[in-house]
Amino acid sequence: MGSPLETPQPLVLHERPLVKLGRVALDAVSGVRALVSLFLRTLWFTFRGSRPKGATALQAFEIGNRSAPFLALTMAFIGMILVYQSAVQLGRIVPDYSMVGANYAELLVRELGPTIGGLMLATRVGAGMAAETASMVVTEQVDALRLCAADPVDFLVVPRFLASLVMTVVVIVLCSGLAYATGALTALVAFDVRLDVFVNLSLVDFGDVATGLTKSLAYGAAIPICSCHCGLAAEGGSAGVGRATTAAVVLSSLAIIVINFFISASAFLVGL
Amino acid sequence: MGFLMALSSRLPYRVWGDLRGFVASLGGGVLLQAATVGQMGVLLSRIAARSTPARLDRRELVRHMEFMAIESLPIVGVTALFTGAIVIIQAAPVVQRFGAEGLLGWGAGFGVLREIGPLLTALMISGRVGANNTADLGTMVVTEQVDGLRALAIDPIAYLIVPRFFALIATLALMTIFSDVLALVGAALAGEVLVGLTMHGFYNGFTSGLIEFKDVAHGLIKSVAFGFIVALSSCHFGLATTGGAPGVGRSVKASVVASATGIFALDYFLSFVVP
Amino acid sequence: MIRLDSLGVRLVDRRRGDRRWVLKDVSLCVPTGCIYGLVGPGAAGKSVLLKTVVGLLEVEEGLVALDAIDVGQAAPLELELLRRRIGMAFQNNALFDDLTVADNIAFPLRRLFSPSDDEVREKVKERLDCVTLSGFQDRMPAGLSGGQKKRVAFARATITRPPFLILDEPAAGLDPVSSQRLFDLIKRDVTASGSTCLAVSSDLDRLLPICDRVGVLVNGQLLFDGTVAEARNAADPRVYQFINGLPDGPL
Repeated sequence: MGSPLETPQPLVLHERPLVKLGRVALDAVSGVRALVSLFLRTLWFTFRGSRPKGATALQAFEIGNRSAPFLALTMAFIGMILVYQSAVQLGRIVPDYSMVGANYAELLVRELGPTIGGLMLATRVGAGMAAETASMVVTEQVDALRLCAADPVDFLVVPRFLASLVMTVVVIVLCSGLAYATGALTALVAFDVRLDVFVNLSLVDFGDVATGLTKSLAYGAAIPICSCHCGLAAEGGSAGVGRATTAAVVLSSLAIIVINFFISASAFLVGL
Repeated sequence: MGFLMALSSRLPYRVWGDLRGFVASLGGGVLLQAATVGQMGVLLSRIAARSTPARLDRRELVRHMEFMAIESLPIVGVTALFTGAIVIIQAAPVVQRFGAEGLLGWGAGFGVLREIGPLLTALMISGRVGANNTADLGTMVVTEQVDGLRALAIDPIAYLIVPRFFALIATLALMTIFSDVLALVGAALAGEVLVGLTMHGFYNGFTSGLIEFKDVAHGLIKSVAFGFIVALSSCHFGLATTGGAPGVGRSVKASVVASATGIFALDYFLSFVVP
Repeated sequence: MIRLDSLGVRLVDRRRGDRRWVLKDVSLCVPTGCIYGLVGPGAAGKSVLLKTVVGLLEVEEGLVALDAIDVGQAAPLELELLRRRIGMAFQNNALFDDLTVADNIAFPLRRLFSPSDDEVREKVKERLDCVTLSGFQDRMPAGLSGGQKKRVAFARATITRPPFLILDEPAAGLDPVSSQRLFDLIKRDVTASGSTCLAVSSDLDRLLPICDRVGVLVNGQLLFDGTVAEARNAADPRVYQFINGLPDGPL
């Protein structure tokens, strides 16, 4: 970081655009390769590892219990906002709000619940995982693990990966239910849509549930892999921990947006 | 929030055995959150006191903005393109059910400009720029650089915080415009490739007169408010860092969590208040 | 015996983005039962050298051998067996935040061997007594002072009675009394168990008296390798200046 009297220098400005583009592309390729490699090693150690018992349960508590309040709060707000905005939008053409609930339920199950929830988990859980692992790297705890024949992927990544896989789905399902409830309340209070009209699940079919669950699972796998990758790559004291945590939030969020696009597009093309 | 946090973290241990301890920790949690909000208020008033136009270093402001914009351009761009495409993919079945493909351009434009553009841009900027800001300030605090400034009789708030604060607000507003445009491009492209709606049809739907200037303004007003909350929480948690390298990590996490909470809460109120 | 033969190590330089030689052509030998003191100015590559010796960093050129095992070429299983015979204390202590002091000290023992609980308890108590931290078993690392953490880290490094003991700044931040006690303890332990010790420290006044041999590393190159007495009268002006702590000179 240098001294505080040093202001950030946008060095990238002076690079020729094509050179920069090429460098970014190369970085992206090697980054994806590193992520895939970490993912494969995580899978390997999931079945072959010798980590202590209970580490996964501890992480599950951390992810599920500690991040539930934050996720519940944001999802409650997003439920109210989205019902309000879509009703306003609908009101400009046909002021008939009878189908708002049915469409909202479908959209919540297949898109908004998993993705907004996933983005929030990427922020909360991703930053936490990266901060922890990066701190362990810069204080040489990871070196000490390796010296005791304890692979950091086995000891640090696998418990977080397994816990996240399970808890992401659980937390997203619960918080989507909450978002549905706050949406129903908003429709009742702001647009006089009765609850028995709003609660209409006729549009939610198997394809929607399958898409939503697939997304939740994929996010649950992507968040710990991206965050631990950033955390384990940290170097250089407190500035390094800060950089790693920032990078983890960005990378996990980006991964969610990209995964969302590919799953949504495939589901659309398959006709689910 | 303090209530929920205290509840969730204490419940399994406390509620069966020691009810008094549980109630105490609940109150403690509430007080802790209240203290954070109060400290943010104090920081805000100190920023306001040092924000007279005469004292604002414009060169510094522009330099920070340049830096923030450049580091967040790629991620905001990618996010916007993909998000626009997803909006179309999710809206297509609904619109087809009503048999109103011509309205797809309008529907996507409405959602992007009023809600999704500002919201996702704010979340991404909070992750990229806000978190970076916290990490920078946190590192300066734990390596005692901020104390060094004070020893030189340089006011850290005026020197470090004020330019970053305003640069972040301005950057977020500009990035929202950039991301609105790219999201619409992504929506149009996805409509062409995946849904079979021509670009021309998308354009016609978008400009059919149902989108008004106030929809764009609605989104931009929100984005300024989001910038405000991201800037305030990232500066607060950066300056409040303690405890070496792990402390910097904890600060960044606290900062992005507080920013996201603030963004959603503000979004809720502004959606109702702003026409 | 620890043997380094024209060792070269390259690491990625974050600022410039390329790989830079951190160690170049380093050759030294630590005979079994010896204490070897490695000294040098900051950023000379001392920690990198230690981490390369224990197999945490890749050997790019040359040879690192612990007894008859080539660390750079060792198969994973061979490396794991080798690690049972290494104890290392890190510069940043590297104590696990979520384990108690006792569990931290017992970690290598439990991971690398299969001891009974009684055996673990006994050995941990013996180590804690040695570093004058009796009764600290159930404390957490976060609640210890800098000097106490250093001593716990040393206890962890020596819990398995390793034939190879690698110490990176074992006494940084300790008060003079504890520091002297720790160096005396190192000397006693190494003499008693006949292990081979490679130690880095900036505290030359306390390190040199217990060393059998000393090496001076400057900018990734080993300028000097010999006995302490030879070092004090070294011909190289940089070595002479560093060992004798003179303010004026080429460094």
